[in-house]
Amino acid sequence: MKKLIILLFPILICGCSHDMNRREIDEINLVHVIGIDFSDGEYVITALYSGEKGADTEKGSAGQEVTSKGSGATPYAAFQNFRLKDKKTVSIANTGFFLLGEGAAKRGLDICIDFLSRDETVKMESLLFVTKDMDASEFIAQSLEKGQIIHEDMKAVEQKQEELVTRNDNTLVNVLNELENDITIGIIPYLVAEEGSFLLQGYAVFENNILADYLDMETSSGVNFIKDIIRAYPIYLDDNVGLSISYSKSHIKSEIQDNSIRIVIKLDFETMIKEINIREDIFTFEELNRLTDMQNDYIIEIMKKATDYSKNTGRDILQIARLIQNQHTRKWSEYEDNWKDKISEIEYEFNVNSQITKSFILN
Amino acid sequence: MMNRINSAWLKELFNNSGDVIVRPIKINQNGITVHLFCVDGLINQSLFDEAVFRSLKFDPYLSGCMTERAMMDYLLEGGTYHVFTKEEADYQLLLKYVLSGMVALIFDTEEKAIVYDIRMFEKRSIQEPSEENVMKGSKESFIEVMRMNTALIRRRIRSEHLVVETLSAGRISKTDIALIYINGIADSATVNKIRTIINEIDIDNISTPAFIEEFLVENKHSIFPQIMYTQRPDRVAANLSDGRVALVVDGIPFAYLLPCQLPMLMQSPDDYANHFFIGSSLRIIRYMSMIVTLFLPAFYIAATTYQVQMLPVQLALSTQAAKQNVPFSSASEVLGLLISFEILIEAGLRLPKAVGTAMSILGGLVVGQSAVAANLISPAVVVIVALAGISGFIMPNQDLSSGIRLSRFLLTVLAAVAGFFGLAIGLIILITHLCSLNNYGIAYISPFVDVEERNIRDTIFRFPIKYFQKRKSMQSERRDRL
Repeated sequence: MKKLIILLFPILICGCSHDMNRREIDEINLVHVIGIDFSDGEYVITALYSGEKGADTEKGSAGQEVTSKGSGATPYAAFQNFRLKDKKTVSIANTGFFLLGEGAAKRGLDICIDFLSRDETVKMESLLFVTKDMDASEFIAQSLEKGQIIHEDMKAVEQKQEELVTRNDNTLVNVLNELENDITIGIIPYLVAEEGSFLLQGYAVFENNILADYLDMETSSGVNFIKDIIRAYPIYLDDNVGLSISYSKSHIKSEIQDNSIRIVIKLDFETMIKEINIREDIFTFEELNRLTDMQNDYIIEIMKKATDYSKNTGRDILQIARLIQNQHTRKWSEYEDNWKDKISEIEYEFNVNSQITKSFILN
Repeated sequence: MMNRINSAWLKELFNNSGDVIVRPIKINQNGITVHLFCVDGLINQSLFDEAVFRSLKFDPYLSGCMTERAMMDYLLEGGTYHVFTKEEADYQLLLKYVLSGMVALIFDTEEKAIVYDIRMFEKRSIQEPSEENVMKGSKESFIEVMRMNTALIRRRIRSEHLVVETLSAGRISKTDIALIYINGIADSATVNKIRTIINEIDIDNISTPAFIEEFLVENKHSIFPQIMYTQRPDRVAANLSDGRVALVVDGIPFAYLLPCQLPMLMQSPDDYANHFFIGSSLRIIRYMSMIVTLFLPAFYIAATTYQVQMLPVQLALSTQAAKQNVPFSSASEVLGLLISFEILIEAGLRLPKAVGTAMSILGGLVVGQSAVAANLISPAVVVIVALAGISGFIMPNQDLSSGIRLSRFLLTVLAAVAGFFGLAIGLIILITHLCSLNNYGIAYISPFVDVEERNIRDTIFRFPIKYFQKRKSMQSERRDRL
């Protein structure tokens, strides 16, 4: 019996390996970036991968990048069309970035990424961006014309994002989770192409999974402060003193009194002085107190922009609904149906404390 | 006349052997003739002349010994100037003694002999261990002479509890085997079991270590070593103190240690010669190397052939670039190169030293470089196989290294057939096999499977010596140090 099992084992293994997608790495086109667009009544998938020569190991780069396109009635149909047209087997297992063209974003985020969520090879940590005011294919084409290596520039964007915030909420898995929650408004960072590089300017706002608006940089930063994901942030006071946030911690508390919602945002942060352009000594107790008050006001203004946007548009970009749902479960059932109207009635209170810690003067 | 001590019979028996001497010596003082029985080349001739022959020829007191018995009694009581003297009436034992280098005086009437241990033969001097060299620590290693080896151990354990039992194995070779243990510390059941196994060995000759190893190993089908060998007397002494049993075989320049567990094979004398942080770090590197050598080639095949998503983007791209224009599959490349690596090792062992260096350069550098330049193999595979190969040789025990190298082939083949699924299956088989091994009542992978905290103090990490106040419970009858 033992010998029989030993004999059967290799056959069993071979049998199991029959349908295991055996494909040598050089027979696959490893897609770095995928763009999803909607134009002329159909979806267009633009895939970016290394050319025939593959990665340039000597330069340590991804080498010459080429694009390939496919179109179809749905994003999946477009993807299949692209796969059929491509000379090699296509793998999106190593795709790190998905770009959503404005047209496709306005058709619906859920439609665009549904096929990705059902692909077993796709990386759940891949990042999703919206290309502002243009299609992703156009964004890619323009960048290639300027001689950019898009894959590496996108990597640089990711690094910049990680320098500013403590976590990337625009990963595929996070966005898919947000899609399941239909009470809050989705926000995804948008990119603009400027002078041979990509800039991360703020958040694109999705209402009912459809692109509704773009937030400016300060409003987006306000959202980050309230969401407690700020890692670093520059503060410029009266053009004379520049500071940088080295630590930030926010806490949001909700209170309901007489059917009115009050949100208390408590923010503690620390800053380091980075630049002084005045001759007076600012390292006095009074002057430092004054600077602290000024930086508190500066940050409150930024946060107010985010809360004001939310109140004015009725879009819950700060995910207050989730807060109420968790902290006032019974009340939430009353607000659930007319939440959009309720948003504009929310009162915000800011409780900001800060301190200036280090000056880093070399002498 | 057979099986009786008689010079005529011995002469007839060794008639065709030029090196065996059976020669009459007439004692002038009393007229009795005794026969000298020895092997030329194995005895210390000058010592024999000085201590024995001179007495026989010139001792005036021998004139008073008118019978062989009286003469024997006188010689045994100090008539000759040699300490290691004894009377022997057993024919088989006499043969064994003389053929191992002792000198016998045959007394035909009494059918007995007096045996003198004045062995002297050419032997290697004690040198530095070639395999287990340490920066700090003893530089002595075992040689091929059993008694010298037991003396080296005895010099380190000056305890009355140290037992050195001399056993014999091999129908023709009658090889001496010293069974060494510390009474009261070593598990008596294990000692008895080993003694029984050695006594039951029924082969003609013990010419290589593998002969005795196969008898002592309990799971003979396993490729993993279940008996540890060492060249170092200090290591044997340390293991004896831990309750293990040592075997020293005449003609084999190392000692065996039993029972043996996997963590023992990952330990090196250097671990104890250095600070415990450094010792622990070295051990961690060794365990990491074991993982690298076992899994790296298989992982490469699985990742480049089945689950590309396992590779980070940049690594996938550079691997893809390196693989361009190579006509073979990743599996063929890796397996081919692994086999080539083994061929190089085997060739290196057989070749003369002068040619060996040239072969290493030619085989490793020239052929490797040319194969990459000719697009026969990708540079990534060369790096993978080289890394796995070098990591395999970090193991302090060469038998373990060989076992791991063979397992690496199995895992590589499984990964080539079924990717990470195959690799997982291979890993399960490997772990199951290791867990199933039992060595003289102790699990092979203990103390990793042990619940007693003190047993794991000398495994992946080497704790400070103060934590070794009590010995491990697995192989010892006594927990407290004597």
